[in-house]
Amino acid sequence: MIELYGVTKRYPGGQIGLLDVDLEIETGQLCFLTGPSGAGKTTFLELIYREQLPTEGQILVNGRNVSSLPPSKIPYLRRTIGVIFQDFRLIPRKTVFENVTYLLRILGVDAKTQKETAYETLRHVGLAHRMNAFPSQLSGGEQQRVAIARALINRPDILLADEPTGNLDPGLSEEILRLLLDIHREGTTIILATHDRGLIERVGQRVLTLDQGRLVGDRFVDGTWDLGATVDDATPSEPAIEDETDPEVETEPPPAEEAAEEDEA
Amino acid sequence: MTFLQALRYFAKEALVNMVRSWKVSLLAVATIATSLFLAGAFVLISGNLSEVVREWRGESKIVVYFAEGTDEVTQKTISGRAAEAGFVRAVELVDSETAQQRFATSFPSMAGLLEGWGDEPLPASLEIDIDWQAEGIDAWADTLREDPAVVMVDDDRDWLARLQTVILVLRGLGLIVGAILLLTAIFTIASVIRLTAYLYRDEIAVMRLVGATEFFIRGPFWAEGLFQGLLGGLSALLALAVGHTVVQRRYGDELIPSVLAESFLGPVEALALVALGGLAGFIGALVSLRRENLGQTGARREPKGGATAAE
Repeated sequence: MIELYGVTKRYPGGQIGLLDVDLEIETGQLCFLTGPSGAGKTTFLELIYREQLPTEGQILVNGRNVSSLPPSKIPYLRRTIGVIFQDFRLIPRKTVFENVTYLLRILGVDAKTQKETAYETLRHVGLAHRMNAFPSQLSGGEQQRVAIARALINRPDILLADEPTGNLDPGLSEEILRLLLDIHREGTTIILATHDRGLIERVGQRVLTLDQGRLVGDRFVDGTWDLGATVDDATPSEPAIEDETDPEVETEPPPAEEAAEEDEA
Repeated sequence: MTFLQALRYFAKEALVNMVRSWKVSLLAVATIATSLFLAGAFVLISGNLSEVVREWRGESKIVVYFAEGTDEVTQKTISGRAAEAGFVRAVELVDSETAQQRFATSFPSMAGLLEGWGDEPLPASLEIDIDWQAEGIDAWADTLREDPAVVMVDDDRDWLARLQTVILVLRGLGLIVGAILLLTAIFTIASVIRLTAYLYRDEIAVMRLVGATEFFIRGPFWAEGLFQGLLGGLSALLALAVGHTVVQRRYGDELIPSVLAESFLGPVEALALVALGGLAGFIGALVSLRRENLGQTGARREPKGGATAAE
């Protein structure tokens, strides 16, 4: 479970990353985090895996207050959270296997178990046959799947995805999304930051909307996809439609003070 | 991960890093090798000189020269008095005739100098072998000097002490030069490690992201510094050994080179030289990463002036 209480993040110079956000995300929930560029989506995710500290407020991840976590304990928090990015962030000089098993090596897992776990995880993302390839030999979609495998290797409770389909064409985006849905079905809490409203429309689930650091929308949306279908049996669907201003998602009005500000403006 | 597994991982990563950035690694190794070579050369030369001084000291004697015409009885009396001192190991009376024979044997080309010099061109003397570590030698030599039958007391300790001082100065100079060069080498290694860490900053950020501890992230860099230092130390030792062999083979017959290159460093000194290299490299790596945030996370650097959003 992820809980945010009055979380504000201000950057030097006064710029707002997040502003007074109160929120609870239940274990096993799939949440889309959306909003325009600069809305605070990345800040939100970075605060959860303690890449950043909040200026005010408390963040609890599975009951642990990450805001007051000493630096020496951060690695242990990170081992329970998988993170994937738009730019994959793979280590170019290491093979797929080495990238995926990096955490297992840190944990001192024996070589045999590493191989078995890596094979199983890569099979899950459909890349068991590319175990010895280097990232540069893979397509964008394959690289993202390797990044997902790396994030999943230690069976994290939470998976944070920051624009995971941002660099992929619509077909690959859908493939990655279905993979994430598979992972979600296995009980992993997923927070997926995206400004691709098309994806959100198709999947539905809980949608959190940020704007200028404020949480301006929090509601459940029905999707058009059959969420029971797995990545293997999914049929190709239409390309994602990017629409930053889709009014359907943001059905909740902005907070009163913001509305007042808009009126003043 | 056990400590041993971690060390193995550090070693492997460090070797890979060194091979990949072999040019800068070579620079670091060469710098440390140069400084250790010079320091080692000073230690080698001063060690050999010290050894020679020790040998000479063991062979040196106090020589008491008698005034011309001193009779045998007086010579024997003084000899007996000299022998009474506890630190005197042996006393040998060398008469004028024996002294001449020795001179002619030692310097045959100059033997003619003594001809026509009179009855006693070289005075009779006492050659006294003493324990140099004993106390009271100066006072004892002074009493000998005061005797009217004695014209001179030649004490080898004076020039040996001066030579010893020269050796100490030489060794001190070597240590100072070596220390300065070693500091330079440490800073070179520190810069190389910092550069490597900078090159791998993205990779380090990924390591942090998946939950690597600081020990695990920094370990390969510490190992790299250590390896560069050890390689530098080994290279210096090898260069010293080659230099020593060359000097011995080519100039072994000449006095000064043969003295300076009498023997090579002992095993302890050789090991110390290599270990010093390793230590310098390790310190260099520690220094370079001490304040390095290595693409820090957990309390990420904030954008300056808030010019850009976090997203």
